[in-house]
Amino acid sequence: MPGSFRRHRRHPRHLSVVATVAALALGATACGGSLSDSGSAGGDASGDSGAVKVGLVVPASGVYEPLGVDMTNGFQLYLNQHDNKLGGHEVDLVKADEGETPDTGVPAVQKVISQDKVSAVVGIVNSATALGVKEIVTQNKVPLIVANAGADDLADGSDYIWRSSFTNGSIGESLGKPVADAVKGGTVYVMAADYAAGHEYVAGFKKAFTAAGGKIAGEAYTPFGKTADWQPYLSKVQNSGAKAVYVFYAGAEAVNFVKQYKSFGLAGKLPLYAPGFLTEGGVLKAQGKAAKGVRTSLHYSNLLDTTENKTFVGAYTKAYDAPPTVYAVQAYDAAAVLDKALADADGTSGDAIAKALGGIGEIDSPRGTWKFDADHNPDEPYFLREVKEVDGGLGNVIIGNLE
Amino acid sequence: MGWLDANLLTMLNGLALAALLFLIAVGLSLVFGTMDVLNLAHGVVSLTGAYIGVALLDPATGTIGFIVAMLAAAAIGLVLGAVLAAVTSGVSDHLRQALLTLGIAMIAGDVLGEVFGSDVRSVPPPAFLGGSVEILGRSYPAYRLAVIVLSLIIGVALFLVLERTKAGALVRATVADRTMVEAIGVRSRLVLGGVFAVGAALATLGGLLAGPVLGAQPGLDNTVLLLALVVVVIGGLGSIRGAVLGAVLVGQVQTLGVSLLPDLASFLLFGAMAVVLLLKPAGLLPARYGTGARA
Amino acid sequence: MTRRTGRLRPAGVLLLVVILAAVPFLLASYPVSLGGRILAFALVVVSTDLLTGVTGMPTLAQVGYFGVGAYSAGLVGIHWTDNLIVQLAVGTLAAGLLALVTGVVAVRTAGIVFLMVTLAIGELIHQVADRLDFLGASNGLVGIPAGTLYPGGEPLILAGYTYWWALLVFLLGLTVAYVVAKSPLGLSMRAVRESPTRLRAVGQSTYVVRLVAFIIAGAIAGAAGTAWTAQTRFVSPGDLAFSVSALALLSVVLGGAGTLWGPAIGAAVVFLTRDWLAANYFTGHADLLLGIVFVLAVFLLPRGIAGYQLSRRSDPPHSGAAA
Repeated sequence: MPGSFRRHRRHPRHLSVVATVAALALGATACGGSLSDSGSAGGDASGDSGAVKVGLVVPASGVYEPLGVDMTNGFQLYLNQHDNKLGGHEVDLVKADEGETPDTGVPAVQKVISQDKVSAVVGIVNSATALGVKEIVTQNKVPLIVANAGADDLADGSDYIWRSSFTNGSIGESLGKPVADAVKGGTVYVMAADYAAGHEYVAGFKKAFTAAGGKIAGEAYTPFGKTADWQPYLSKVQNSGAKAVYVFYAGAEAVNFVKQYKSFGLAGKLPLYAPGFLTEGGVLKAQGKAAKGVRTSLHYSNLLDTTENKTFVGAYTKAYDAPPTVYAVQAYDAAAVLDKALADADGTSGDAIAKALGGIGEIDSPRGTWKFDADHNPDEPYFLREVKEVDGGLGNVIIGNLE
Repeated sequence: MGWLDANLLTMLNGLALAALLFLIAVGLSLVFGTMDVLNLAHGVVSLTGAYIGVALLDPATGTIGFIVAMLAAAAIGLVLGAVLAAVTSGVSDHLRQALLTLGIAMIAGDVLGEVFGSDVRSVPPPAFLGGSVEILGRSYPAYRLAVIVLSLIIGVALFLVLERTKAGALVRATVADRTMVEAIGVRSRLVLGGVFAVGAALATLGGLLAGPVLGAQPGLDNTVLLLALVVVVIGGLGSIRGAVLGAVLVGQVQTLGVSLLPDLASFLLFGAMAVVLLLKPAGLLPARYGTGARA
Repeated sequence: MTRRTGRLRPAGVLLLVVILAAVPFLLASYPVSLGGRILAFALVVVSTDLLTGVTGMPTLAQVGYFGVGAYSAGLVGIHWTDNLIVQLAVGTLAAGLLALVTGVVAVRTAGIVFLMVTLAIGELIHQVADRLDFLGASNGLVGIPAGTLYPGGEPLILAGYTYWWALLVFLLGLTVAYVVAKSPLGLSMRAVRESPTRLRAVGQSTYVVRLVAFIIAGAIAGAAGTAWTAQTRFVSPGDLAFSVSALALLSVVLGGAGTLWGPAIGAAVVFLTRDWLAANYFTGHADLLLGIVFVLAVFLLPRGIAGYQLSRRSDPPHSGAAA
């Protein structure tokens, strides 16, 4: 710094800086690890008996918090059902708050990997965050089991990226043919939140829909997270002469959209199709009767009529006093995936788990049996669901199977 | 179908949005004009109103129940406003006011999230307004029409109080020259606290009325705060007529604007604000006597 | 007029730099990477203070220019060269240029109106980043290679090395801010804040002074953005959201507007509260903790952190927005 500050006689101000540095020092659990490559984080390659550290990074704040709560519950339920063990190893679960966007989510993943030295990371709701940590998990050789984020290009067969949830495009695709069949030559208006996921859901749908002979009446992309009023768009839908509407919305936007679809008189006249997030969990509760008749595609519904699912729904409802959502199942399955991998793995290091993940075969899940495809995305069936009254409340009743 | 026919409903809908924005924003404007306080907790005050709706209303609630909820929201708003007036009274610097009120907003937002959960919640309209009416052959929710009417009534009442009563005259004089009012010995503190309380009550009321349209969710407070700031700055800080005009403008930008220029939808609001401020830095209708928007 | 920024003595400054430089030897990888991000954010806050505190122009646009620097560095890294010095230069220049283009109209306003215009600038930059496909749109810019210092040099991957680069950029930016604040230009900037009429009376254009200050601050924020990208190798629109802009401005007030070093410490307090205290001990309640810090600061530190040791002095507190 320039010496021209010398003429000032006041005492130096470094005390506050020392305090800051001291505060930084408090954050350290080990010393001097930032200048050398400590190799793969977490666990050890020897023995099968040691505990395993797992990082659960889901939103505990921000708009995605409800998803984070469900995912935590799902993961925790699996642990509770298995004596807090995965693959025979006692689990030391480290939770971190993903927040809403990558500016909180990426540091959270960084923290569990380099400070807590976890052997695997589970979670991640936001696709941007998932893409942002891809490099970090690969570099540190810690496998990431993505339990929600659906960006199409996220999983690409890399050893450290696995996904127990879904890809945006394929959910959209699953609705293409059924909608084309339903409108019988009529046109469909498509609408989505204007961000990467919204475009992927629409692209997937359009691809399958037009391949099945369908025609698009019009398209609209609404500002993501900033749209509260759909009247201007719904008015265009009505003018377009479309015979049905396909949309992608989630969270608060899903609630407002579905309610307005009803109050502006479209519900009951133009069938509404969407990826299942439009009517999943707390969102459906807030929509109430306005959601009746909405048809969606998803890889799960808590009304799925199988023994495995009924047992799961019973246990989950007993533990958390609410029925499970797709988000809970995705995290539950992520735990199942890790359970199998750790049972096969040579030790508990991230690298060993990553190697074992390739050979775990089929997962028995409440949603049915599924396995990882070549890209490490779940190869899974989709269900066509319709919102109907069930036992006095509303539920996503399964009315068909989709490819 | 002509252009007007095609867009009339959208413009009407813009008015409904404007009605809600006016109710929420006018308090922010008055508090700034009279007390020179930039209250960034205004959004969370408004969200509190929406959550009062979540707590007190269900789809079966009749008109009486809804009026009770409105009174409860207004009463709680009055208290919140009085508390905020007291807390901010010793802080005259705008930046420190921002630090204080945004700090309070962050704490209150977290507490609301703890109490009501992080899920988006819906607020049902009163049962008799739950349906839709036919306008130009299209369904339109009756509740939104009611909001326009109610907001007009409140706006006119507010205007009359300010223009025709002694307290109103004092408020106007304070907007014009606060130090002068204090110098001539008027015990203005009570009136000023009253303005803060009434402004907050309008915000909670507006939040409650916006509930059936926007729902209630953590984070909505920031959205509402930004919209309210845009409304009052476009209109002119401290001016009721400005708040009306600002609300109408923002309402139309958010409806007619996105309908005509869908590709630019996400740029319209702040783009419009920037253009207005660069052309008329004091806002479109600055407070008549005043220096509310003095820069 | 310059005494506010001139209180640091060389010995203290040297000690401070030595301590900051020693951090990678003392701490583990995660706290070091947190420290590196703090340095980048602190430099944005310093640039915010140059406008807000020194010149009396409270701004919410600096995070936007930070984003311009961050995205520029990322694009240079992906499409041209992984050389960090080139990235720093391009990012700084790009942010400075955009500050010039936007500042030409923005600095015609003042006070709260200026604040709202800068809010609009910040939000518009945010929206552009959110929509342009070659910037990765809402998913953010990925695939940025690790930076190098000279052609053929080792890429900086480990947290300790990227921290040092961030520290270097931070010190450079802070030095520029100090030099500007102490120069004749800085004198004029303070005059803009305290008595614009007097400035006009002596024949100086407040417009030009404000514009130049705006460009310099934008360029410094851009430099901070390149330091951010060098560490995270990932930029997303969330990095430039309104919430970040608000935290940058509040850090200035928390630290003590007009002192430059105080706001840098304010930035560290904000980041440590959010990413260390909340992340480790109060998961999901970062807002609550930050809110408490802000409210306490208003009542316990009336002149910000920098004012803590100055409280016996007689010069009055000030700020730009008290127009």
